[in-house]
Amino acid sequence: MSAEKKDYLLVDENGQGKPDKPWIFRTYAGHTNAKASNELYRKNLSKGQTGLSIAFDLPTQCGYSSDHEVSRPEIGKVGVPINSLEDFRILFDQIPIEEMNTSMTINGTSMWLLSLYVALAEERGVPLEKLNGTTQNDLIKEYLARGTYIYPPKDSMKIIVDMYEYCLHNIPKWNPSNICSYHLQEAGATPVQELSFALATAIAVLDAIKERNCFTADEFEQCVGRISFFVNAGIRFVEEMCKMRAFTEMWEEITRERYGVKNAKYRVFRYGVQVNSLGLTEEQPENNAWRILIEALGVTLSRNARCRALQLPAWNEALSLPRPWDQQWSLRLQQVLAYETDLLEYPDIFEGSKVIESKVKALKEEAKLEIQKILDMGGALVAIENGYMKSQLVKSQTERLSKINSNELVIVGKNKWTDGIKSPLMTDSDGGIFKVDPKSAEQTLGVLAEAKTRRNAELAKKSLEDLKQAAKEGKNLMPYSIACAKALVTTGEWADALREVYGEYNPPTGVEGQKLFLSDDKVATVRGKVDAFTKAHGHRPKIVVGKPGLDGHSNGAEMIAVSAKHSGFDVIYSGIRLSPEEIVQSAVEENANVIGLSILSGSHKEIAKQLFDELAHYKANIPVVIGGIIPESDFEELKKMGIREIFTPKDYDLMSIMNKIIDIISTEPVLV
Amino acid sequence: MANSFMNSTETLSQLVSDSLLGEKFPIAKLISKIETENNLEFRESLFNEIQAQKPNAKDGLTIGITGTPGAGKSSLLGELCRLFLDFAPDKKMAIVAIDPSSTISGGSILGDRTRVTLPRRDTRIYFRSQPSQLELGGLNPYTYHVIRFLRKIFDYVFVETVGIGQNEISISLISDLSFLVMQPLGGDQVQFMKSGIMEVPEAFIINKCDEESLANSSYYMLETTLEFIKDILPDQTLPPIFKTSVVKKKGIEELLQYILTYSKRKDKNTETITQLMQWIRSEYGRFGIGLWETMESKSWNQAVRLRSLSGMSKYNYETEERKFVSLIQKKLIQ
Repeated sequence: MSAEKKDYLLVDENGQGKPDKPWIFRTYAGHTNAKASNELYRKNLSKGQTGLSIAFDLPTQCGYSSDHEVSRPEIGKVGVPINSLEDFRILFDQIPIEEMNTSMTINGTSMWLLSLYVALAEERGVPLEKLNGTTQNDLIKEYLARGTYIYPPKDSMKIIVDMYEYCLHNIPKWNPSNICSYHLQEAGATPVQELSFALATAIAVLDAIKERNCFTADEFEQCVGRISFFVNAGIRFVEEMCKMRAFTEMWEEITRERYGVKNAKYRVFRYGVQVNSLGLTEEQPENNAWRILIEALGVTLSRNARCRALQLPAWNEALSLPRPWDQQWSLRLQQVLAYETDLLEYPDIFEGSKVIESKVKALKEEAKLEIQKILDMGGALVAIENGYMKSQLVKSQTERLSKINSNELVIVGKNKWTDGIKSPLMTDSDGGIFKVDPKSAEQTLGVLAEAKTRRNAELAKKSLEDLKQAAKEGKNLMPYSIACAKALVTTGEWADALREVYGEYNPPTGVEGQKLFLSDDKVATVRGKVDAFTKAHGHRPKIVVGKPGLDGHSNGAEMIAVSAKHSGFDVIYSGIRLSPEEIVQSAVEENANVIGLSILSGSHKEIAKQLFDELAHYKANIPVVIGGIIPESDFEELKKMGIREIFTPKDYDLMSIMNKIIDIISTEPVLV
Repeated sequence: MANSFMNSTETLSQLVSDSLLGEKFPIAKLISKIETENNLEFRESLFNEIQAQKPNAKDGLTIGITGTPGAGKSSLLGELCRLFLDFAPDKKMAIVAIDPSSTISGGSILGDRTRVTLPRRDTRIYFRSQPSQLELGGLNPYTYHVIRFLRKIFDYVFVETVGIGQNEISISLISDLSFLVMQPLGGDQVQFMKSGIMEVPEAFIINKCDEESLANSSYYMLETTLEFIKDILPDQTLPPIFKTSVVKKKGIEELLQYILTYSKRKDKNTETITQLMQWIRSEYGRFGIGLWETMESKSWNQAVRLRSLSGMSKYNYETEERKFVSLIQKKLIQ
């Protein structure tokens, strides 16, 4: 008698129980320099990690070599610095890249980093078809949320399509780009916005590929199959799980209906996840461990919409960069979920649930309307250029913060149950945080200088000229980039060559016309003080909100700009990636009453010093406040430099921030 | 009160002499003072001080740039700045960019700097934002005085405003040369625009001409429209139309050359009287204008005519404002 088929179990063709294989476990990592990161990767791999997820530092992401002046404060801070093939040789030392699934979080310079990877493989004699991995390469979300774009939208899209064309023919297992809705949620996107903006981005990519007409019908199907996504999972985990089911169903429909993909395999919504960092709190940071666990459930519970790869943030991410132990703790969570529980033994456990079905349907309907709106505008690229998508995100984010401020949205430890016993996790000798050794940049600069002297200068120059010429002629740039990689061209040189041809892009800030939804006593108090200031000075208080350095996470700066306007300030906000000198020049020319800086990259000390030096040049004694991820251990030094007030994620209450700022400038002597 | 902005080491005379050299922070401080309410006394001492220190100070050409939101004015101005620094190395320019304010809180977000990348520490260029104090844009009550001040320091003063149809008139009154910036349009939109504002600017810019065919069709449509109304234009000649593209870097050099070689200055006496009347109207309404007309207009009008004919002396705005203030005080006491 054959075993009775059990609906609740996954079985193989012989009826034997056969659980699913777990997803890929990743840890987003990289810091200091290539050598230190190599050691970290090898350690993580020996602990049972099954894929690499490389974090690059901001200069590498924005297309500057480490020896560029804007790079100095940022080298090795949020990821590994890569200047040339020499750094890749060090980074992958003793790591068999043919066995790796390598994910690179890189966008503006993704073609360059892939070219380096290809050059490394060829040098090692690894056949390219064995390479497996992903370059993030989604510029739309860079314009909207993350800020490491370089070139204008159309040219960026051209580079992306070049990579699809090259990869399909040469590195078939590589995902040339990864459509990211992750960063949209971090920037405040609702589930519907996450669905619609990400899918509209995927449509923009596929439409551009189709337009180039470089593939046969079969190849195009394969190409659709290579589109992968990088998604966020928030704390509302039931809704998030429904969002993932909606994604899966909508992608199936779009690939079938819009692109006529016949092979079901190529219509599968393939995605990796990093769970939400936005909701992690600086207050009672140990609670973040539970948040991360719950968020991981949202993308693993439903088998039909389960992620392919998962990376979890560390519990202390809102405080600073995680230490190796913190990352290990997050990895253990995945291992417990996959190997100790029975999760992988079942088919989809939500099939037939009325609640889930109707929730998914509602999300899909709303998202479809929004996608149609974007397509009617002319597609995702147009909706970037005209500022539509950015303004919608700023609006959602403002609404979210308004709700936290009014306690409509409960965040445990932040706006409710705020009294607690101090966490013993924070009492380590290192204060529970990780710091990059400032001396480590020297190693990177040394390797760079050495590579520059050792290389064939003529060959490097010629490869760059060829790259520029190819860009002018609209040729596929991959072969020229690989030639540059082999000639030991540097990251900055590669990016500059294309800057010359394409120019640099400056997107809308999204803050104009935004309104805050707050009208309580706190607002009245602040407005009262603003009025008093206006009476005393004869004009409104004026604030320059500055986002210095290469860190492009502009949410904080945007929220402060909108709140200051709401309070009655005149606000000067000029978007991201400004030098401290440019910010000071704005403040001086506008005769601002205060400068507010937002810095999340960890380079606050270096930037503050540059800023005060420039203020001294103008003999301008303008008060400066600073906000961002700033460890308490740096407070004293910053205050000594002259910073008047420091705001961290703990200070989520926008009106309390504005109240402090207006107090600071009201005590300044009435001069002009 | 007038002297309250100075601290012990900083005198008006020092601020003025530093400003005349193009120093950014002193200029910025003086502008803030001009933007302060009830500043007649201060303006008087400021302009007297400038007159005393530098009787033949510059008289910069004022260029108004207006147009609907989204026409790309700021990006265009950014590109103009970049070229200006290359093409006119011995000239100086200032920009005053005016943004709408929020009527609820009174605050504003001044975002025009976003599109203009300025070289650092360069005294040949100065950028200042101003809230309009109106949700829809237009000129700030202090804009005129800020511009008068900047003209003394800079060879060219650009004023950027959001125009929605009504405000172009006020900006053209304080500009020697005003441009209306438009996007490539469809025919019905040109027809719509024909009704009011076409008569005002000295020149037109069709911006965002990234695609040749659309640019050309818009150009001819605008030209045809202007032909119709040529007879009612001041010079009865067709105003120039520029086609520009910031993306393709086209047409902006020509536009800059046109500005650099433009020499016509509008009559400053007329400007003074017009601005004074605007101020009277907004401060005292019809009552003020009525008073102005019945009691003093005869002699003033005559004076304007005589003086501009002879081309000798200029009206001093502050003197006239003071005259009117004492006039109205006398009237109120009666």
